[in-house]
Amino acid sequence: MDTWRQLKPLEWCKYVNKEVKVTAHEKQQHHGWVFTVDPVSASIVLVTFQEKGGTPTVRVVTGHAVQEVEVLQEGNEETAGRLRVIFTPPGAHTLGPEEVRHRKESLRLWLEKNRIPVEEKGEMLCVANVLTVSAPYGAEDCSSSNEIILARVQSLVESNPDSTPDQPANS
Amino acid sequence: MRPHVSVLRLPRGPAPNGRGFDPNSPRFIALCPTTISASTETATDSVQIREEQRARSALRESFLRTLIAMTNKQVQFHMYERVKVEAKFGASDIDVLNFQISELHTPIGVQKEALLRCQDVISYSFDL
Repeated sequence: MDTWRQLKPLEWCKYVNKEVKVTAHEKQQHHGWVFTVDPVSASIVLVTFQEKGGTPTVRVVTGHAVQEVEVLQEGNEETAGRLRVIFTPPGAHTLGPEEVRHRKESLRLWLEKNRIPVEEKGEMLCVANVLTVSAPYGAEDCSSSNEIILARVQSLVESNPDSTPDQPANS
Repeated sequence: MRPHVSVLRLPRGPAPNGRGFDPNSPRFIALCPTTISASTETATDSVQIREEQRARSALRESFLRTLIAMTNKQVQFHMYERVKVEAKFGASDIDVLNFQISELHTPIGVQKEALLRCQDVISYSFDL
């Protein structure tokens, strides 16, 4: 009964992007496409797509209740893509390296214009040695142990006239 | 809207040293298997260990995304003894041992806030 939980991560990976039938305790049977297996709890995340294109249903079977996992179908690039897309949070989009660089430059110039000491440390901007800004250099990417400086710099970042808003403003 | 029932039992507080994924914490030892699946260092070469760790982090990241997608959604929990309850999912702890949920519909009423023990749950489902 414990065999599922004893599997190694690489063995769990083999079930990802496959349609499986999971038999659990109390004769529960579920089937769906495996999105992932949690390595901490061995829980299986199954996704069932609706026929008519409605919202998919996600069912998670807790690791300790799994008795048997049977592979029904192999997935392909298309199913992998569908699985990946449904868990990407809305509004998130990936920035190309050029865009990220541009944002970093734009933020650095804005901070310097406001007489804030800033230097580049690899991929991060280091402000006055107490605050760091990492990609993609938005207000949420500032990190500091000093709340007052954090708040000040965050409002500065948000007021950067050059920055293009990529998400609806939530303030 | 069904009225809320009063709190029946407060949960135990967190252990004072229980921050982070500590395999030696008494809570983890008591409730989780004593080892997480991992290859032993001696037998295998370091490349496989790296591959295994990469797989483990990819799997865990996907699972965390599942939890994020589940936040504030109505989730149906299928528990032992054919108990089925519905609640709004709030958060999980790091070992996936407890779920913080709100508006838990039970046969005796609606619990405004509750902690659900994951060991009692067989499966849970929600619509995206």
